[in-house]
Amino acid sequence: MYKYDHIDQTLVDQRVAQFRDQVARRLNGTLAEEEFRPLRLQNGLYHQRHAYMLRVAIPYGLFNSKQLRTMALIAEKYDRGYGHFTTRQNIQYNWVTLEDTPDILAELAKVEMHAIQTSGNCIRNITSDAFAGVAGDEYVDPRPVCELLRQWSTLHPEFAHLPRKFKFAVNGAKEDRTVLLCHDVGIELKKNKAVNNGELTADIYAGGGMGRTPILGSLIQTDLPWQLLPSYLTALLRVYNRFGRRDNLYKARIKILVKALGPEEFARQVEGEWLHIKNGDDNFTQAEWDRVAKHFTKPAYKSLTALTNEQVINIASEADKTAFARWLERNVKPHQVPGYASVILSLKPHGTVAPGDATTAQMLAIADLADQYSFGELRVTHEQNLVLADVEQAKLYALWQEAKKQKVALPNVGLLTDIIACPGGDFCSLANAKSLPIAKAIQERFDDLDYLFDLGDISLNISGCINSCGHHHVGNIGVLGVDKDGEEWYQITLGGEQGNDAAIGKVIGPSFYADEIPDVITNIINTYVAHRNEDESFIDAYGRLGVIPFKEAAYQNAKKKGEADKTVGEDA
Amino acid sequence: MSNSNPTKLIQSHAQVLLFPREGKPFLAPNEWQVWDVQDESGLPAEYANSKVLVPFTWWRSQLDSRHEGSDVLTKAKKGQIGVWFAADDDILQHAELIESGKQYWPLVAAYFPLFRDGRSFSTAALLRDRLGWDKEIRMIGDVLIDQLLQGARVGFDSFALRHDQNLDVALKQFDLFTVTTQNSWRGKRSLLAIS
Repeated sequence: MYKYDHIDQTLVDQRVAQFRDQVARRLNGTLAEEEFRPLRLQNGLYHQRHAYMLRVAIPYGLFNSKQLRTMALIAEKYDRGYGHFTTRQNIQYNWVTLEDTPDILAELAKVEMHAIQTSGNCIRNITSDAFAGVAGDEYVDPRPVCELLRQWSTLHPEFAHLPRKFKFAVNGAKEDRTVLLCHDVGIELKKNKAVNNGELTADIYAGGGMGRTPILGSLIQTDLPWQLLPSYLTALLRVYNRFGRRDNLYKARIKILVKALGPEEFARQVEGEWLHIKNGDDNFTQAEWDRVAKHFTKPAYKSLTALTNEQVINIASEADKTAFARWLERNVKPHQVPGYASVILSLKPHGTVAPGDATTAQMLAIADLADQYSFGELRVTHEQNLVLADVEQAKLYALWQEAKKQKVALPNVGLLTDIIACPGGDFCSLANAKSLPIAKAIQERFDDLDYLFDLGDISLNISGCINSCGHHHVGNIGVLGVDKDGEEWYQITLGGEQGNDAAIGKVIGPSFYADEIPDVITNIINTYVAHRNEDESFIDAYGRLGVIPFKEAAYQNAKKKGEADKTVGEDA
Repeated sequence: MSNSNPTKLIQSHAQVLLFPREGKPFLAPNEWQVWDVQDESGLPAEYANSKVLVPFTWWRSQLDSRHEGSDVLTKAKKGQIGVWFAADDDILQHAELIESGKQYWPLVAAYFPLFRDGRSFSTAALLRDRLGWDKEIRMIGDVLIDQLLQGARVGFDSFALRHDQNLDVALKQFDLFTVTTQNSWRGKRSLLAIS
């Protein structure tokens, strides 16, 4: 993985010093809270419901065991013994103090980590495929581009005070694992012999996003040579910075501008700006590529023979075979190199405190597993799980036994209980409703692994407010917390999907009380089971049957206290 | 979005912070007043003998006017008029006017209605990169210590800070970083040197 050179390191160290001074000025009263706020946000520091929350960047989701140990020790020393991995490939600490934050950042800087631009109205941490470099369906390793863009966007002076936050995702695989079309800018990397002499190019999608106005991004540029990304993105951001709406927080994202202008006109304006800078020296050089890309070479794989699943299962003891086979089916993914596989460690044990949470002890143990089984590297997925990307198939059984001890071996990846959820009203000051108890109640209701396996792939995502950090719009089943007259209610969406067929779910009707949600989900699931064809997934059955049978089932024993939530309906 | 009128921030400034492209930042006496009224009337008498930054929209209206344009040009020819751009002035729509203004204006300014409104960063970048403005560009308005570094890098070399800002702390901002990871008006990205 990428290793800082002295320039990266100097920048991060100097950033710590800058923030230390800003905190000191805040504490001695010479910097007002209102003016400190955007500064701390650009360093990932939120003021939450109970305390400060620090969001630390894990650029494109890739990290190593040394960094994980530091994350674990920060959780122990400065927080309450756990960290929360997020859909944006960051880790968050919920209980830090303002006074400690510069020291935490200094500790992070020692292991080439930072919290720069993990929040605020600037270019956020760039996300990508958690299986970059190893996925069987990858046609371009996106990581050098991600790293070049990380550098280009870090402390970019012109775009430090955009109308709103700005999120990039980069994909280079056949299957989109980045929710590309739900980003302000999605960069789809390609290598096509017929284009640009087979050199790396990018298609650019702009104006996607979730939140209160979910919109899928529009294709605005094709076959952009990789070298020209900085000039093109500068042009794009310049148009947004100048003409994005600043009068209304809820209309300030680039998706609103793209929608208002129309994608063709937006693309034309970007092109008009780009013409003047496309041949300039902002563009990436081959030398820069070479310097960065050399860090993303393959690890020292052994020359192994690929094993069949049956061979792998046969390594397990008789007593373990069934459970181990389940884990292989759900949590182990194919790899580019024969004899290797990628393993997803589930951070969604049933009855969990919060999806994506890991304790200090778990983080330390997982760091050891990374060293022992996967060249010391890890990834965080946008579904809030961890990945050991390079595991020898012959060692999968041993790894599974170790992972079980840490309670990160539940074979529920991609199943109903692999819930994406934001921290919700338990922590977040923006939230209208809690999300964690809902996730827990659903996991408790669907605790039967046989049944979950029978149901197959279903995504269930929960957000505690319309900002949709829990990505409820792209869940097959989405749960959105809403506030009505001071009470917490939950609205259900169906039909959302991530991946290549990304879709925004539709609201099925009036919202429910929290204690109704497990029954509502059960009724929806029962409808699927009753009507599905053989081997038909939930989302396919929904597509065939339409919303009506699911809606009728959802409301069959509703308490009839709910009514359509007009506040949310207007804008959604 | 319309801009609220700027309050008279610069007049009361005895000093502005200057940071030439080549050189060190320093404090200097402020010679320029800002006229913030945008109406059909002429320039108030109080500015008759001083250097004044006028709204760019007013400059445009004067040049369009047969009656008053000459007075303005007379003063401009003495080097006593510059213009300031509002955050929502689309300077690219007026590239020709800015080109002709180069012969008159010793400096231009870009206004920050609120410190976290970053539109004027792009204005400065465009003035430097696209319109070839090579004289002074001043940050005016809600200019705080922690926006100076960004301003300096996009093309500002002159800073009229909000009254309550500590100029000694402000002066130190420009030394905080010795490296950069993208090009700016002041130099190429450090990373190029090692590639």
